[in-house]
Amino acid sequence: MTADEIRQRLFRVLRSVAPESQPEQLDPSRNYRDELDLDSVDYMNVMVGLNQAFGIDIPETDYRALETVDGAVAYFGRRLAPGA
Amino acid sequence: MVEWRVGPGDRVARGDIVALVETEKGLIEVEIFDSGVIESLVVPPGTKVPVGTVLATIRADAEPVRAAAATAPPAAPTPPMAAARLRVSPAARRLAEESGVDLATVTGTGPEGVIQKIDVQRAAAAPEAAATPEAAATPAPDRLAAMRRVIAAAMARSKREIPHYYLATDIDVSRAMAWLEAENARRAVPDRLLPSVLLLRAVALAVQDVPEMNGFWVDGAFRAGAGVHVGVAISLRQGGLVAPAIHDVDRKRADDVMRELLDLVKRARAGVLRSSEVSDATITVTNLGDQGVETVFGVIYPPQVALVGFGRVVERPWASGGMLGVRPVVTASLSADHRASDGHRGGRFLASIARRLEEPEAL
Repeated sequence: MTADEIRQRLFRVLRSVAPESQPEQLDPSRNYRDELDLDSVDYMNVMVGLNQAFGIDIPETDYRALETVDGAVAYFGRRLAPGA
Repeated sequence: MVEWRVGPGDRVARGDIVALVETEKGLIEVEIFDSGVIESLVVPPGTKVPVGTVLATIRADAEPVRAAAATAPPAAPTPPMAAARLRVSPAARRLAEESGVDLATVTGTGPEGVIQKIDVQRAAAAPEAAATPEAAATPAPDRLAAMRRVIAAAMARSKREIPHYYLATDIDVSRAMAWLEAENARRAVPDRLLPSVLLLRAVALAVQDVPEMNGFWVDGAFRAGAGVHVGVAISLRQGGLVAPAIHDVDRKRADDVMRELLDLVKRARAGVLRSSEVSDATITVTNLGDQGVETVFGVIYPPQVALVGFGRVVERPWASGGMLGVRPVVTASLSADHRASDGHRGGRFLASIARRLEEPEAL
């Protein structure tokens, strides 16, 4: 899966949790929880959405690595790489 | 009337969502209160009708033909003229005038849909409830302004009428947090629990010990809630606030409450709540921990009589058994109506919440 495909899936999930947001305008290096004002329930919904969108388990200890667009792209790129 | 979700001949059961309506303040999914078979849809989509209008008729089970109706909460912004056609008790009409509640936005729960005083009190109180936010994107400024006015009326009434008293206690949540961590480590993502769920369950169960925290102050007396329906305060990013209810939190497993919480927050953000959610709360919980707040001094939603606030879980020095250690601690606060309870009982309520959080596996 390309970085762009991962990004698009992430954006779809973010839009479903924060319908008023425009994730494509996010600074990919900044914490989108802060940028979009997502509370813990919203973020849990993002994790559930990502779990479904990518079909892989995400340990709770990895949640913080997914708080930026760049971080999420790197994380899923690694987890979805052949042989990972 | 935005759309029908059922058609003539469809079988419906109490609680089914049968229609989507839009009020001045947002979209609400209308639930039906009788079981039976839809006989006819009276109001077509796109039509504006006053509250109380029969929207559909159903043939109730075991009855030949009966006109029951989805008398949705809504109806479009209805001018005062419409109120004249509503069936309203004199006390309710007087209270509506006093508190600035538009009767057209009130759902009657009395015999044959008559609007009673308690309905007006709930409407005045349920800022959120009634004030369902417009969904997605940016809601129209006038809708935001309308929601702000509803919140203003309810909160002003609360502070004007309810003699609040406030109590707070620090709770050591080390056992709860450790239990959650272990549980979540073995659960799949969609089944994991947030600390908020344990807090909601602890509050709902503590009601068993101090039932006078759960219900309404109406006509000079406390009226117990029919169930423990916990209103969850959800702040909307576009502005405003809603506090829809999760029903029967005392009787549900933490897993079910979690699923409902995730769904409720998502739908609140999308601007579509259900009619029962916006009107049924018997006690409210607000959690401002995400904002870094440590202690909440909440304002009760009239006619409810209590609101429980939680702050952030923070590590603090904690002395226990002669030893000093560092523990995760949350401050629970209670805003309660002094007409319905006294500080002694409020203290017991907070103590019960604390005790239940010390046994997370029982939540």
